[in-house]
Amino acid sequence: MAVGGSFVFEAIGTRWQIDTAAPLEPEVRAAIAGLIENYDALYSRFRPDSAVAALTAGGGRLELPAHGAALGRLYRRLYRLTDGSMSPLVGSVLEHSGYDAHYSFTPKGPPAPARAWDATLDWEGSVVTAAGPVTLDVGAAGKGQLVDLVGGLLTGAGHTEFLVDASGDMLHSGTTALTVGLEHPYDPTRAIGTVQLHGRALCASASNRRSWGDGLHHVVDARTGTSVSTVVATWVLAADTMTADALATALFLAEPDVLAGEFTFDFVQVFSDGHARFSPTLNGALFTP
Amino acid sequence: MKDLEAGSADTSTRSLTGKRVLHALAAASLLGVAGCAGTAPSPGSEPAGEAASSAPAEAPASSAAPEASAGAEPTEAAPADQTYEDGEFTQVGSYVSPGGTEEIGVSLTLEKDVVTAVTTEPMPSNPTAKLYQERFSGGIQEEIVGKKLDELKVDKVAGSSLTSGGFAEATDLIKSEAKL
Repeated sequence: MAVGGSFVFEAIGTRWQIDTAAPLEPEVRAAIAGLIENYDALYSRFRPDSAVAALTAGGGRLELPAHGAALGRLYRRLYRLTDGSMSPLVGSVLEHSGYDAHYSFTPKGPPAPARAWDATLDWEGSVVTAAGPVTLDVGAAGKGQLVDLVGGLLTGAGHTEFLVDASGDMLHSGTTALTVGLEHPYDPTRAIGTVQLHGRALCASASNRRSWGDGLHHVVDARTGTSVSTVVATWVLAADTMTADALATALFLAEPDVLAGEFTFDFVQVFSDGHARFSPTLNGALFTP
Repeated sequence: MKDLEAGSADTSTRSLTGKRVLHALAAASLLGVAGCAGTAPSPGSEPAGEAASSAPAEAPASSAAPEASAGAEPTEAAPADQTYEDGEFTQVGSYVSPGGTEEIGVSLTLEKDVVTAVTTEPMPSNPTAKLYQERFSGGIQEEIVGKKLDELKVDKVAGSSLTSGGFAEATDLIKSEAKL
């Protein structure tokens, strides 16, 4: 795609860049800004006036727009596939750890598990109901869904060649594939490989959990003698950004083959000891020494 | 006394400004380690590639090339213009990962204001974090390495919005600890 216009802005705490073959019309830019603002006003945990803030305060019934149903279904599937590890109720855990609306970064005590979905929350279609106060957090898939909604708006406005990039969560449309570098988990000046992005979404997630690649920090399982390590970074390619975003997080919490039973995607996982694994159909390359 | 003052001042003003300085240090350290290992720059023998762009006699004022200004002559005591103590420093930073709050230990070796080594340590604190073993049917690459992005032809880069939060926090603490 020959880039005819780039629309760059900050929103929901992230840098956005929308490249299009034809420059974006002012009214399309305004519509994008409005779309993002509405989504933020709905789901932001950091705004006292958001719709989910009302749930946090006292529970109740929240009627979401139509896209809320797809988000709820996706969360429910991943809640099941990760044995409850991935949950929209993670918000209470995050706040407990100090990642709250005031950014206090002061833990409120030892780590506490999130509450069970069924005892706390009913998410049926686009209607969320909670009997008591509940912190709803859609951060693991919401940004991806917002990228999809922006992509839908572009398509609706007649744009067929574009790339929506919300700081690493990206959606591509058009005839020419893009080469995307996979950022080194510990060195933003380097890439560990590249993938081809063509007509679908790519999302990244990273924990920067620990050193890798120096060969000194292997943990060996005494029973099997095999190396055990944790996931430090993931990338997922899928048809839509919401799914890619959610699976990038899910790959920290579940085995890829468990997720592959219900989703179609390609992935890269990088582990703390510096090795990587990837889907057999991945269109890309990881760099070797 | 001096150390205490420096430390407390940094802690009380850990603000946007502090973070920005810290990011500059982190960036310089990574570049320093990657680009300067094994080289001993001396005023008379510049790499050919740089000869056209800079005069050998001038000490660059920007932090982009700290090794050029600091590496001129070895001295016993820290020169008056050295900002940080030489030595190895270790601190712990925390960050929020998709699995919860995690910690990362960072060790920096400082020599004449140049970071000559960086190591990070695992600090598995999250009980829900899963340990993975080798039992997957997909492709496995035993060891992967980073290539400099400016040497690659890519249209875009996909990383993480969480990048280096804990690393940055630990580096911030080291900065205040090592300050002369």
